[in-house]
Amino acid sequence: MALWALFLLLLLQPSFLLKSSMANLEGDALFALRRALKDPANVLQSWDPTLVNPCTWFHVTCDGDNRVTRLDLGNANLSGKLVPELGRLEHLQYLELYRNKLRGPIPKEIGALKSLLSLGLYHNNLSGPIPPSLSRLTNLKFLRLNGNSLTGRIPRDLTTLPNLKIIDVSNNDLCGSIPTTGSFYKFNERSFENNPRLKGPELMGSVNYEIGC
Amino acid sequence: MGMIQICPLVLFLSVLGVLTFTHGDTSMDSSCLQRIKSQLVDPEGVLRNWSSGIDICSWNGLTCSEDLTHVVGLNLSGSGLSGIISPEFSCLVSLQILDLSSNYLTGPIPPELGKLQNLKELYLYSNFLSGKISAELGLLKKLQVLRVGNNMLTGEITPHLGNLTDLRVLGLAFSLLNGSIPVEIGNLKSLKILNLQQNSFSGLIPGEISSCLELQVFSAAGNMLEGEIPASIGKLESLEILHLANNTLSGSIPIELGSLSNLKYLNLLGNGLNGKIPVELNQLSMLETLDLSNNKLSGKINILNSRLRNLESLVLSDNFLTGGIPSDLCVSNSNLQKVFLSLNNLSGTFPSELLNCSSLQQLDLSNNGFYGQLPSGLDNLRNLTDLVLNNNSFSGKLPSEIGNMSSLKGLYLFHNSLTGRIPVEIGKLQRLTVLYLYENQLSGSIPRELTNCSSLMEIDLFGNHFTGSIPATIGKLKHLVFLQLRQNDLSGPIPPCLGYCKKLQKLALADNRLSGSLPPTFRFLTELSVVTLYNNSFEGPLPESLFLLKNLSIINFSHNRFSGSIFPLSGSSTLIVLDLTNNSFSGGIPTRLAESKNLTRLRLGHNHLTGTIPSEFGQLIELNFLDLSFNNLTGEVIQELSNCNQLEHLLLNDNRLTGTVPSWLGRFQGLGELDLSSNDFHGTVPAELGSCSKLLKLSLHSNNLSGWIPPEIGNLTCLNVLDLQRNNLTGPIPSTVQQCKKLYELRLSENFLTGMIPSELGKLTELQVILDLSRNQLSGEIPSSLGKLMKLERLNLSFNQLQGEVPPSLGRLTSLQMLNLSNNLLQGQVPSTFSGFPLSSFVGNKDLCGAPLVSCSESVGSERKWLSDNEVAAIIVAIVFTSTVICLVLIYMMLRIWFDWRKVSVSSSDSGGLESNREEMQWFYGEDNEKKNGDYWRVNSLTSVQPQEK
Repeated sequence: MALWALFLLLLLQPSFLLKSSMANLEGDALFALRRALKDPANVLQSWDPTLVNPCTWFHVTCDGDNRVTRLDLGNANLSGKLVPELGRLEHLQYLELYRNKLRGPIPKEIGALKSLLSLGLYHNNLSGPIPPSLSRLTNLKFLRLNGNSLTGRIPRDLTTLPNLKIIDVSNNDLCGSIPTTGSFYKFNERSFENNPRLKGPELMGSVNYEIGC
Repeated sequence: MGMIQICPLVLFLSVLGVLTFTHGDTSMDSSCLQRIKSQLVDPEGVLRNWSSGIDICSWNGLTCSEDLTHVVGLNLSGSGLSGIISPEFSCLVSLQILDLSSNYLTGPIPPELGKLQNLKELYLYSNFLSGKISAELGLLKKLQVLRVGNNMLTGEITPHLGNLTDLRVLGLAFSLLNGSIPVEIGNLKSLKILNLQQNSFSGLIPGEISSCLELQVFSAAGNMLEGEIPASIGKLESLEILHLANNTLSGSIPIELGSLSNLKYLNLLGNGLNGKIPVELNQLSMLETLDLSNNKLSGKINILNSRLRNLESLVLSDNFLTGGIPSDLCVSNSNLQKVFLSLNNLSGTFPSELLNCSSLQQLDLSNNGFYGQLPSGLDNLRNLTDLVLNNNSFSGKLPSEIGNMSSLKGLYLFHNSLTGRIPVEIGKLQRLTVLYLYENQLSGSIPRELTNCSSLMEIDLFGNHFTGSIPATIGKLKHLVFLQLRQNDLSGPIPPCLGYCKKLQKLALADNRLSGSLPPTFRFLTELSVVTLYNNSFEGPLPESLFLLKNLSIINFSHNRFSGSIFPLSGSSTLIVLDLTNNSFSGGIPTRLAESKNLTRLRLGHNHLTGTIPSEFGQLIELNFLDLSFNNLTGEVIQELSNCNQLEHLLLNDNRLTGTVPSWLGRFQGLGELDLSSNDFHGTVPAELGSCSKLLKLSLHSNNLSGWIPPEIGNLTCLNVLDLQRNNLTGPIPSTVQQCKKLYELRLSENFLTGMIPSELGKLTELQVILDLSRNQLSGEIPSSLGKLMKLERLNLSFNQLQGEVPPSLGRLTSLQMLNLSNNLLQGQVPSTFSGFPLSSFVGNKDLCGAPLVSCSESVGSERKWLSDNEVAAIIVAIVFTSTVICLVLIYMMLRIWFDWRKVSVSSSDSGGLESNREEMQWFYGEDNEKKNGDYWRVNSLTSVQPQEK
């Protein structure tokens, strides 16, 4: 067994080396976010794209291999839009951008953040649908999108998220019905409240959950 | 109004003119010129012979009439004169030409010049004249040339200039004039040249300009003109130059411009023009330069060189043009020399027709969507000096014929998808100065022949897959200024001859697999300013002679295996960044680093440095980042460091520093990260730290700090992480911590804290990573307010003296993944939602009951039914579990037998199967099964992902 682990480790090693040398891509991705944001409180002032990696930027946390694992910009008075480049932070575990004035859609590229554990975008002005691509976040445990202006139905694909512990999409403008299958069976109604057009739990066997949506 | 006032003046002037004529000699001019001279400063002595003893007609700059009776010309251009233009000029009534251009004259243009009724040409350009262009100039009826540009003239163009119907040249460029272009401009029927460039003119271009039928040159570039380009400009058939660049013109390009049959130069760059490029522009058969760049033009390129036979420069960059390059963009024996099409949405393959364009010198197709291979016939472009194809999707190999492009100076192919090797033929390019191939998929070794390109000044091969070593002949490139080989798979040592590239200023070899030590020849690189070698396997001590490199400003040798002293890197006093993180450097920190007064980043962490922090570092007042962590430094944090009040990051953790945590740190207003953990600091946590209002991370753990946690800690309202664990802190947890609203990680464990857990902690609703208060002497009940920490993932209150019941509100902590309430004095029923946590989360308490502990069955009778249900469930689970275990053992044994027999390995699909199995379990139980595996502490968010990366 240990031999196998070693073999797998060796197998992964070259690709890992390659990726660690691409660390600047993460800085570029974050800098793309900086460019798309208005930052009246200057919390992003330290984000210098000429540095080797973004690991010494404030509000960014890296692991021992200088890969970004946390982005903590909750309550930072930021406005502007999220950028698709965020999807490049493949080691990101915590994306915390709650309580800002972010607008526009949630980029579907967020679904590429395969290490993501927590997506905290609550209390912003985000609009558009919840991207079905979020169902690719197989490590996701905490999905907090409450207090935005999200529309459309709750993607059924999200029910396949194996590790989801918390979902909060309350206080949006979602429609359709609430999924009840998969990981969704354990969530109570408070996770979905205050979506005037959301019609309650879906009826199993019914295919018409999109009505009025 | 103005005209009415001027009328009597005109009358007076004509009377004066009659008088002068009757007077008939130059004596009057003489005294008047003396008065003019008296108001000029003449450092070069140009006016030296302007004296009464000398014949006036031989005075410098003066021209007399043929009968020597009148001064008709005065030319003092470029004479170094300063002072003002005297109103006395008005007495030179016969003056026809006045040229005071290119001097240092100040003050206004005197309105009295309006009296010079014979004046035909007035040149006042390139001085420092200020004020407005006076209306009186409109009285100069005979004026043909008025050039007053390149001054500091302000105000609007007086409409009275419209009276100057003989005017051929009007030059008002490079001043501070504003307002709109007066419609009276249309009265200037003789105007040939109108230059209004670089002012602040606004408003529309008056359509009346189309009346100036003689106009050959119209330049109004660099103003704030708006609106559309008047279509009537198309009537100006004599126009040769139309220059309206850098305004805010909008609308489309009028098709009427196609009628300008004499136009040679059309420049509309930097406006907001939209729509398509009018196909009518192809009628401009005389056109030599066409620049429509930086607009919002769309559609396809329809400029056809087959009709624009005289076109030399075609600049359409930075628009929204689509489609490919038309096949007849350039025909053989054309004059086209420059084609700039960058920053559009053009696509298609490299047009082979373009290869006929042997006149081409510069070709820029960068930042478009071109794809496909580069044609091997590129060498037909034998006059090409610059080939700019970066930021496209070109693929395939670099054609070896590129070596025949003997005029090539700049080759910009970066950010494409080129593959294969650099052809050895590149070595034939003796004029090549810039080679940018970065961010492609090129591979193979860097050919030795490249070092034959003796003119090379810049090489950038960053972000490819080059292997092998750096060519040992690299030292032949005597002109090399910039060498970037970062992020490749290069191995081997740095060739010693690199030291002979003595002009080298920037050297970037980072992110490779280079090894060996730095060659002593590095000392010859005296121009070197930036050197980045991070993420390689360099080793050994640095050559001492590096101390001779006095121009170094950025050094990054981090993540290598360099050893020995860092002293050789302290020779330059112009250092801005020094990053030696993660090497094996030893010895002391050289005090000489303090000579680099501009040092902003100093990172020496993760080495084996010893000794103390030099007190001279107090001179580094620009220092923003100081990282000395993970060394063996001793001594105290010296008082002198308090001068470094620009510090944003101060990382001194994991050393053997002693003394107290300095209170002056409170003066570092920009401090965002302070890590003094894992040292031997004693004394208290200084209350002054509460003044570091921008602090995001405060880590003082694993020291010998004692005393109370100062309540001022609550002033750190930005704080994300507070870690004071493993100290000797006493007293209560200050309730002011509640003000640190942004805390997501709070660790106070392993101290001697006493008193109750303040209920205010419940206000820290962003707490997420952990709340760790374990191993203290906290007493009282667990405040129910902790149930509000909805995001909390880990809660550790173990090894305290907490008593009473576990508040039911804690059961609402749905994000909780790890919980440790063990070894307290707790009693009563555990919230039912905690049943998934392991026993070890609760052991060592007084009298806790409920799942996963023993049931509280003996307590209340009404609960008996529900509990017995639970027992039934437990029995069923036990049965299922036991039978599953037996089954698994059997399966395992069978598999072992099978494997031993087959001797075939299990592929990774096996683990995939396990994964899905686990997934299913979770679906059934709806809880994390990891909790049931006992070792709760290891189950955390980090380790669940990390094993994949390591």
